[in-house]
Amino acid sequence: MTAAAPELAIETRQLTKTFGRQTVVNNLDLAVPRGSVFGFLGPNGSGKTTTIRMLLGLASATSGEVRVLGQELPQQLPGVLPRVGALIEGPGFYPFLSGSANLIRLDSADRFASPATRRKRVADALERVGLTHAAGKKVKAYSLGMKQRLGIANALLTPRELIVLDEPTNGLDPQGTREVRHLVRSLTDQGTTVFVSSHLLAEIEQMCTHAAVMRAGNLVAQGSLDELRQTGQTRIRLVTPDAQLALGVLAGLGLAADVEAPPERGGASADPQLIAPLPEEVAAEQIVEALVANGVRVRGFTVAGSTLEDLFVALTGEGFDVAQ
Amino acid sequence: MSPSNSGVASVASGAAAAAARPRAGWSFLASELVLLFRRRRTWVLLATLAAIPVLVAVAVRLSTARAPGSGRGPAFLDQITQNGLFVSVVALTICVPLFLPLAVGVVAGDTIAGEAGAGTLRYLLVAPVGRIRLLLVKFAAAIAFCLAATVVITAAGALIGAALFPVGPVVLLSGDTIGVPDSIVRALLIAGYVTVSLAGLTAIGLFVSTLTDAPVGAMAATVVVSIVAQVLDSLPQLDWLHPYLFTHYWLGFADLLRQPVEFSSFSSNALLQLAYVLIFGSLAIGRFTSKDILS
Amino acid sequence: MAQKFTKWIPAAVVPVVIAGVVIAVPMAANATGSLPDKSAQEVLALVASSNVTALSATFEQTSNLGLPQLPTGTGAQGSGSTAQAASALELLTGNHTARVYADSTNGAENMRLQVLDSMAERDVIRSGSDVWLYDSKKQTATHATLPAKSDAATSAPDAGDAASTLTPDQLAAKLLAAVTPTTTVTVGNDLSVAGRSAYDLVLTPQAGDTLIGTVSIAVDGSTGLPLSVTIVPKGSADPAFTTAFTSISFDAPSADLFAFTPPAGTTVTEQALPAEMAKPTGEAGKGTGRSAGKSADRPVVTGTGWSSIVELNVGTDQSALTGSPLFAQLMTPVEGGSVFSTSLVNVLLTTDGRVFAGSVSAEALKAAAAAAPLAAAPAAK
Repeated sequence: MTAAAPELAIETRQLTKTFGRQTVVNNLDLAVPRGSVFGFLGPNGSGKTTTIRMLLGLASATSGEVRVLGQELPQQLPGVLPRVGALIEGPGFYPFLSGSANLIRLDSADRFASPATRRKRVADALERVGLTHAAGKKVKAYSLGMKQRLGIANALLTPRELIVLDEPTNGLDPQGTREVRHLVRSLTDQGTTVFVSSHLLAEIEQMCTHAAVMRAGNLVAQGSLDELRQTGQTRIRLVTPDAQLALGVLAGLGLAADVEAPPERGGASADPQLIAPLPEEVAAEQIVEALVANGVRVRGFTVAGSTLEDLFVALTGEGFDVAQ
Repeated sequence: MSPSNSGVASVASGAAAAAARPRAGWSFLASELVLLFRRRRTWVLLATLAAIPVLVAVAVRLSTARAPGSGRGPAFLDQITQNGLFVSVVALTICVPLFLPLAVGVVAGDTIAGEAGAGTLRYLLVAPVGRIRLLLVKFAAAIAFCLAATVVITAAGALIGAALFPVGPVVLLSGDTIGVPDSIVRALLIAGYVTVSLAGLTAIGLFVSTLTDAPVGAMAATVVVSIVAQVLDSLPQLDWLHPYLFTHYWLGFADLLRQPVEFSSFSSNALLQLAYVLIFGSLAIGRFTSKDILS
Repeated sequence: MAQKFTKWIPAAVVPVVIAGVVIAVPMAANATGSLPDKSAQEVLALVASSNVTALSATFEQTSNLGLPQLPTGTGAQGSGSTAQAASALELLTGNHTARVYADSTNGAENMRLQVLDSMAERDVIRSGSDVWLYDSKKQTATHATLPAKSDAATSAPDAGDAASTLTPDQLAAKLLAAVTPTTTVTVGNDLSVAGRSAYDLVLTPQAGDTLIGTVSIAVDGSTGLPLSVTIVPKGSADPAFTTAFTSISFDAPSADLFAFTPPAGTTVTEQALPAEMAKPTGEAGKGTGRSAGKSADRPVVTGTGWSSIVELNVGTDQSALTGSPLFAQLMTPVEGGSVFSTSLVNVLLTTDGRVFAGSVSAEALKAAAAAAPLAAAPAAK
């Protein structure tokens, strides 16, 4: 690799895919930095898998440009693919072959892979995903989780510069999910860029350095996790019976607050809530001080930094399975 | 899954490997052949085909034992009783119109659609095996199956014939008699002829297989095409079309049983099959290289 | 995307290239070097001087006589005269491919004709005075010994089923024998037959009552051997009968080909010559009388040239023939008998057991039958 290695492992410009009249991916501008663990987040059906198929040359783009590892696709596809490992939309294997026989077949399809080291590399990949004990078993006897691991092992057959994992923790138990996280971390330690798609926010939050959010074929946010978190506003939440008074005080401090009706549960906390974005130049304690000084009965006060969840709910308009 | 780095080279060396020149890729063809001949389905097909000469020989043996020299039925069957080596030719004649197209339809129709249906196609393409290379390898393996199928019928026929009937000099259609070694050469020539005959159908099956992700549909369509072609070939009103049907020379291997050997049908057949392979091969390439793999 | 269409370019180009090859190759084969111009008389002289002593060739015969398509292999079933007739008819209908090997160098009289049937073969092998007929379907062989001085051109092939298939040069010889002052002979554009340049000799009968429109004979420019014969009925543009060499070599064939031993399991019949009688549907219509045969069956030829009519007495017992379904299918009942009608030849079978055949209309045959009293015919055998 020359020193002029480009910054981005994956770069798309105005990438669009339509099936008939339906636009599945719309003007996507992805930028995946090298060495990152890039989370590709979106609800099911938001165009993630279609995008991945275009990144791997399985589907052609309707319009737009794709560059993977600095190479233009689909023209440079044969040179790019050997440097990319992938798990695409679940594992696909020959059920009548053993796990290792499946990997040997897929490895023999790669003209850059050395036949001399094939068995060794297959054994190593199986070991990395913890399937050594089942290497000789026919795949039809594998559980979904084992097939998923075998799919990941396939992506690890040769040293790769980019690994694309589409929903890698599907079908894995919590232990397996943890192992995948460790594996991804070990890959980045070697400088591999990992591109992980998921509909699970927690998964992305725990292993990724960068993320992009898809919604109905559109890219709605992209950046490092820190950048994304900063996109959201820190807010204050004030619980008080004196809502009108408090509004005036907050306005004096330059905060535009919204009044929320008290929770319907009623009871002791049946007080209105005021929510307002917190400007950077105002300290939270200043606000409480001003409220108390003006006779506002402060029954509750919180400062909430925005969570990714808030952001994603705001961006996609729907909830994610935050908890698995 | 251990996060250890053991046995994993650095990315830099991976890049170096990628920069290396690609290998010829024969190991993928070998892998394809292993895959084909490791499937139980392939063995069931071959065993079924091998059973046909056995059934024919046993049936003829039983019927002649009951009514010796009755001479009923196709004249060809009579030859068996005089020479066991003829069982091969009779069995091939029986298999060519239906059983071989069925077997070839299953294998050729499965080539791409089977991989798509099993979800392995996307992994092969990402591995990567180029799409044209995948088609070539699949076609080569399907032709290998055609050869295996005809050789199995020929060999099974010769063996069961030798077991149940006398073996000796073979009488050709021209009335001339040739020795056993020469007759084995002719039997192999016939097996080659039938294999070549099936190349066009194999290419059609390959093309059909690129049209769908349902292997059963591709298999059925391929078999139906072979039957339709044979029906068209039997309609005298369409005789202008007959020389262009890929089934037209299917039974022409009888010309290899004449003295001297008539090679014109062999060459006509080979040219016709080549044309079909080129046309449907290029159609398959056009379809497969422009297709979105969504399976 | 535009590049999607480029993937289909091979699929678009390959069929065009193949179609081009399919069209261009025969055209290139036809674009033979021009032969020196010759008059019709010169071409006839070339044929007469033809002295081909050895050849190995394949020829194809295509008939479109307006007969119903007979199931292939009809000739193998049945027995007796029905089978004989059906077998002969089968050779006259549809398409047949045959090979011929001949070697008369050094005084040898060797000939082998192979009719290549589907999964079967009919052979005529002549080696000196020995003639073998072999039918692989029936597994029968017939042996005959020719008299010392025999006309090799006619006797051997006339002896059996395969007789109805004549090589192009044999048929041309018979047709050229019919060239009389009533025939216009012209030379058309040069042809290419079996990869050889040939003169196209066109015979146009001037007699008004014949069914034959034109006869084209391709004459090999270098050896004078007729390479193809095409017969077009009067009032039609499509040939009713074509026979043509598809490949020909003038090398002497292997001598092994002429040494025939009936294979084991074959029914062998010994036959004395002259034996086989001319069949009702033989080459009678082609305008030549038969000279072979017992005197009782000797055909009588009336008329001349293209409109000659052959009369033959086959005896009154026709039940074997008329009773067969094949007969009913082929014959049209008319007053005083029934007519077998094709676009080139008509045959009238009278109820009193006479056969009139010729390339003339059925009316002409009936007139001939009425004109020839039964008493003139020899008694039935």
